[in-house]
Amino acid sequence: MSAPPVRMGDAAWRWPRPADADAATLLATLRAWPRVVDVVVSEGHVLVTFDPGRPPPDDPTPVIDACRAAAQAPAARTHVIRVRYDGPDLGEDAASARLSVDELCARHRARVYRVRVVGFLPGFAYLGEVDERLVLPRRASPRARVPAGAVGLAGPYTGVYPLSSSGGWNLIGSAVDFAAFSPVTGATLRLGDEVRFEAA
Amino acid sequence: MSGATLEIVACAGLATVQDAGRPGRMHEGIPPGGALVPELLAAANLAVGNPPGAAAVELFGKLRVRAHGAHAMTLSLDGAPARPLAPGEVLDVASGPAARVGYLAVGGGIDVPLVLGGRGTLLVAGLGGHQGRALRRGDRLAAGAIGSAAASAARFDLRLDDPIRIVPGPDLERFARDAVAALVSPSPAARLAIGPLGDRVGVRLVGPGDPPWRPLAAAVTISAPMTRGSIQVTPSGELLVLGPDHPTTGGYPVIAVIVSADVGRLLARRPGAPVQLGYASLPA
Repeated sequence: MSAPPVRMGDAAWRWPRPADADAATLLATLRAWPRVVDVVVSEGHVLVTFDPGRPPPDDPTPVIDACRAAAQAPAARTHVIRVRYDGPDLGEDAASARLSVDELCARHRARVYRVRVVGFLPGFAYLGEVDERLVLPRRASPRARVPAGAVGLAGPYTGVYPLSSSGGWNLIGSAVDFAAFSPVTGATLRLGDEVRFEAA
Repeated sequence: MSGATLEIVACAGLATVQDAGRPGRMHEGIPPGGALVPELLAAANLAVGNPPGAAAVELFGKLRVRAHGAHAMTLSLDGAPARPLAPGEVLDVASGPAARVGYLAVGGGIDVPLVLGGRGTLLVAGLGGHQGRALRRGDRLAAGAIGSAAASAARFDLRLDDPIRIVPGPDLERFARDAVAALVSPSPAARLAIGPLGDRVGVRLVGPGDPPWRPLAAAVTISAPMTRGSIQVTPSGELLVLGPDHPTTGGYPVIAVIVSADVGRLLARRPGAPVQLGYASLPA
C-alpha cells in the first residue's frame, strides 16, 4: 500500500511515486478523480491540486495503488523530430564523452525515448534515458538565452527547448520544423509519448 | 460588444492583463497563472458588476488611460466604487499605496482571446493577455460584454500586517529538526522581509545571514512538482516563495507551503515589508 499523501499547503497533496506505476496511467487516472484541478507526475512524486474550499471527497491513494504493477502502457503517440546537429556544445560534449562528434550524434538518435517528465517551462519534456556515454552534467553556468528548438543533453535526459529561455543544458543541435509548445494546442510532447530523433 | 476601448496613454512599471488563471494544464508544464492577488482582482471586478475572475489590468506602478467609444466605460481600481469614464476622458491610476500591485477592472471585462483556457498573460511563453506581452503606451484594450450583475463595492482588506499561515513540509527530511520552528519564530534575530526583486514567478524572503533552515546536504536531488505558495530553500538558505507563474517542477526542497488564502496577501507586500510566518490550523 502506498503511504497516505503529504500535504502541500491546504490545496495540494503529494505522494512518493511508486516505482512500478506507469506515469501516463497515473496522470490520466488522477485527472479523472473528482474535484482534482491539476496533476503533476515527476520522476519521484505525484502531485494533485484542488480548491481548498471544495477538496476531493475521497483520498485517491487507493487508485495510485491500482496503477502499480501494471505493465508500462503503450505509447499513445510517437513523434519523430528532425535535428540539425549544430549545437555550440557539440565539440566539448563529444570530448567529455570520449566520442567523435559523429558518434555522439549517432548515439543520440539511436534510441527511442519516452517523455519522463514535463516541467520547468511550458512544453519542456524530459526524454529518457540517453545512452550512458551521453550522460553529462549540466553546464556550470547556465546560458542567459537558449533559443526555442535547441536540442540539449543533461543527466539521463535529452530534450527540446520549447521557448527561448535561460538554460543550463548542453546544446547539441536544433530541431527542424518542430515546436515543442504551441499557444493553440499547448505542449506537443505528453507524458508517456515516444520520441525518436532523425538527422535533418 | 460595447465597442468601447481603453487606451494606454502612459505606463510606468509592469502592467499585464490577468484573470483567474489556466487551471488544469500543469501536466503540460503550464503554470496555474491567475492574478498575483486574486482577492483584489475579484474586488475590482465585483465593483463593476463582472464575475470575480474576469480579465482586468494588473499593474505594478502607474497607468494613464483614456476611454474611446460611444458611451462611458465603468472602471474600478481594487474594488473602489465604480466610476464612469466618458469618451475622451483621461484617468491616472496607481497601485498601492500599501500593496505593490493593483487591479483596474472595466465593466464587461477586457476582451482578449481565450488562450489555453485563460485570458491572462504568461510572459515566459509570450501568450495570453494583450498579444502575449506587457502593456505599453498606445495599446488599446476592448471592453467585453460579460456580466451585468449589480455592482457590489466591497473593498477587500488585505490585512498586510497579519501573520502569514504556513503548513510545514513536504520536504521536512531535508531540514534540521528545529528549522520550521525557526521560520515561524517571532524573535527579531529571525525576522523576515520581502526581498527587493520579485515578480509573478516568485519573491524572495530575506532574513538572517546564517539561517537555521539551510537544507541538509543531499546525495541526489531530483525535480519535484511545485505549487503556488511553496517556500523553496536554496542551498545557502535563501527562501523563495512561488507565485502564480512558477515553474511546475523545481529542484529545491520545500520547507513549508503558504495556505491559499494568504499567498496573495504575502505577494501584495512591497519590498522591505516585514513578514511574520505562523502555523495554519487545518482540519485533519
